[in-house]
Amino acid sequence: MKRFRNRSVIPGFGLSFGLTISILSLIVVIPLCSLVLFSAQLTVKEFWDAVTAPRILASYAVSLKTAFIAAAINAVMGLILAWTIVRYDFPGKRLIDGAIELPFALPTAVAGISLTYMTTNKGLVGSFFHRYFDVDIAYTSLGIVVALIFIGIPFVVRTVQPVLEKIDIQYEEAAFLLGANRWKIFTTVILPELIPALLSGFSLAFARGLGEYGSVVFISGNIPYKTEIAPLMIMAQLQEYDYASATSIALVMLFFAFVILSVNAYVQARTARRVNANA
Amino acid sequence: MALQENYVELRGLNKNYGNFRASNNVSFAIARGKLVALLGPSGSGKTTILRMIAGLEHPDSGEVLIDGKVMNDVPGNERGIGFVFQSYALFRYMTVFDNIAFGLRLKKAPKQEVADRVHELLKLINCEGLEKRFPSQLSGGQRQRVAFARALAPRPSLLLLDEPFAAIDAKVRLELRSWLRRMISSLNITSIFVTHDQEEAIEVADEIIVTNQGRVEQVGPPTELYSNPQTPFVASFIGRPERVDNYGDFQNFDSLGTGSYALVRPEFVSVFKEGENKQYLRAAEEGIVEDVVFRGNLLEIRVKVRNSVIPSVRSIVQPFVSVGERVGVLVHRLMIVHGDNVDLVQNRAITSESVVI
Amino acid sequence: MKEVVIRKNSGPLKAFCIASSALFLILFMATPLAYILYVALRQGVKAYWTSISDPYAVKAAVLTLETTIWAIVVNSIFGIVSAWCVTKYAFHGKKLISALIDLPVAVSPIIAGLVFILTFGRQSWLYPYLEKAGIQIVFATPGVVLATIFVTFPFISRELIPVLSAQGTDEEEAAALMGAKTWTIFRNVTLPHIKWALLYGVILCAARAMGEFGAVSVLSGHLRGKTNTLPLYVELLYQGYDFTGAFAASSILVICAVLILILRVWLEKKGGKDLDLRK
Repeated sequence: MKRFRNRSVIPGFGLSFGLTISILSLIVVIPLCSLVLFSAQLTVKEFWDAVTAPRILASYAVSLKTAFIAAAINAVMGLILAWTIVRYDFPGKRLIDGAIELPFALPTAVAGISLTYMTTNKGLVGSFFHRYFDVDIAYTSLGIVVALIFIGIPFVVRTVQPVLEKIDIQYEEAAFLLGANRWKIFTTVILPELIPALLSGFSLAFARGLGEYGSVVFISGNIPYKTEIAPLMIMAQLQEYDYASATSIALVMLFFAFVILSVNAYVQARTARRVNANA
Repeated sequence: MALQENYVELRGLNKNYGNFRASNNVSFAIARGKLVALLGPSGSGKTTILRMIAGLEHPDSGEVLIDGKVMNDVPGNERGIGFVFQSYALFRYMTVFDNIAFGLRLKKAPKQEVADRVHELLKLINCEGLEKRFPSQLSGGQRQRVAFARALAPRPSLLLLDEPFAAIDAKVRLELRSWLRRMISSLNITSIFVTHDQEEAIEVADEIIVTNQGRVEQVGPPTELYSNPQTPFVASFIGRPERVDNYGDFQNFDSLGTGSYALVRPEFVSVFKEGENKQYLRAAEEGIVEDVVFRGNLLEIRVKVRNSVIPSVRSIVQPFVSVGERVGVLVHRLMIVHGDNVDLVQNRAITSESVVI
Repeated sequence: MKEVVIRKNSGPLKAFCIASSALFLILFMATPLAYILYVALRQGVKAYWTSISDPYAVKAAVLTLETTIWAIVVNSIFGIVSAWCVTKYAFHGKKLISALIDLPVAVSPIIAGLVFILTFGRQSWLYPYLEKAGIQIVFATPGVVLATIFVTFPFISRELIPVLSAQGTDEEEAAALMGAKTWTIFRNVTLPHIKWALLYGVILCAARAMGEFGAVSVLSGHLRGKTNTLPLYVELLYQGYDFTGAFAASSILVICAVLILILRVWLEKKGGKDLDLRK
């Protein structure tokens, strides 16, 4: 095939291209096609019935709500953490910097059972909140939020941190000399630089939170209509070998993730155009 | 002169960064309305001085006075200065209009006043119609002018510019230099700019402060610095002099003793071909052309006289000289450095007839 | 009025930032980790040892190790080949390939599992062929391995592509013009540039592979002792109220996670110059 012949002097195009396409097909493309094929076989009614069952709708609401709240909290906390690491010197800074990666390294199920065990009414943290604030964490949507905060925090910190590091002090000096106080400098000069990164981190955490399963199933308690998350509903349908319903629910979730990531991509492209346009 | 009161004065400023002496007993004064260049090689402490005047750095000791008042404890935003940053530091997420209006809005100026002032400045910098653009949509020269307008907007009485031309390509730089010079002299605002480019300083500034290794070497108008360098550093930094150790070998010059050497600028030396009729032919040396470089508007020549190779220039309207050619060489003057002193010494044959080149 | 420092490294804001960062990390990172070890050892070292030397636990650990190694090997080969292909040659469809490589991380692990069920499960058109050949993928080890490869798919190529594209093609072209063959060029010219990034990617891949829960959970079919990875085994014990056992098995994963974090920090320090291009 002439199209795939390459004119580079570096040898090995055929080999590397062929291998890349083969492995990519086997792992990603073929499975994805089978999802598309299977979806195409669904009737509209099948799809609609599966997706609009009250229990499923409730699970979407729980997933969206908890993932959104957790991502929002992470955006704030992630900003504080990134700020602390970038702007201040103090003993133990490296430890904090390293600890933020823990959710990437710790298996989600392990995090899940630990957080659950900790936050039940008899657990170390849960008993404290139960006794003094009359708040239950485990087996409520608050518990789901806690798990998703744990899962999502590195996404925000790791997107904001490099941007914050790169902000030239000249911008702050310029604003200062023009009469801005600290708060004004932060809101008018630093925050606009960070907002695209914050939004990116928020979107990643939000999308990840929607799909998260391992850390959530334990702490949520899986009470129908209250703390069942959408991935759990897919799992439940799979256990009953009802692949049509499982696929339908999954399609809706993929749609949510697609919307979140597209909105983010659109905003990023727009700000990038503004900031990087050439004369 | 009565009007020449000092607007900015530095008294014995010292600043260390760890073991590095960024400023070493820096003192000078700048008259109101002057355009002054802080000139020095990189790492000479010129930017530190500018930043201390702006209140962005704080001296370990010494005083910064603006308009007769000690400013050490006055924060930079209350010193009445405008600052143009080296890479402009235009706010990327604000339009040109918002950038220029930034300082005015912080002073709670009424909306109409802000708009009027911004438009006035846009007109001044020839950027009318660009107010809705973002900095990324401007050319380098436009960015520099917007940065200039932003600094001027709150009507500062002192303008500080850090390497204002460094980020601009060579061609636009020449235009901007003369534009900036005209602009500042028409606004009559005291201005200090930092540069490492002596041509730039000589062309733009009323007065030049030469810094080296954290110290002020010499202060004076460009012509004074050029014709009367007072320290070995200034003598070797200004112009393109070359060092000659055995200058005592030249006719009509006496050695000032061991350890001393001479600096000779190309324009101190004339080269002429055999048969060319010149004054002071008798005072000329014999030399051999070692190298000729055609520079477009002139010839750069290196010529060997006795045991020293010295630089010279020759107009291209004169006949060409070629490598290996035997020529007459007249050294008009030398800057002789001995210890910390620099003496400008004329060729005796010329002084006796009191002619100055 | 005293000296104004634009970026202050002191003051109440610093104290607030450090305090809230520290509190957050203690609550969300340190406590869960400590809690796992505490619960695992609560009934004494002997009970702990019995738990982790249980034959099922050992089997699960071995399967986890096996799966992780598979993921590392396949993804390393793919990562190197695809990064080489995408950065050294010019051809159409590069963007599509990059997008497909990144796709698996945007998909919920449960949906990843679902996709493989649809591809290789009973209702798939492939199933009769697989059955005839005696290959079982779904609810067996191959499915677990495939799912793990899928969820970690971009981890290595994503580290290599920026490094290789920053390095450009000059060196390879020079070598090719001097007559070097593909393998020689790769080994002597390209590999030295990417060895740190490769190692870094391997670490990220290992961290995710050993801990993957959702996708593996879908595909394992939960046959005790047969296709249980460590995280699944942890779930099994936890659901059976064997908390000591669950947390003991977790502690192995915790130790691995902490080792990975340390290794990562070390790598960033050691190979920092070659990795910097990541950001």
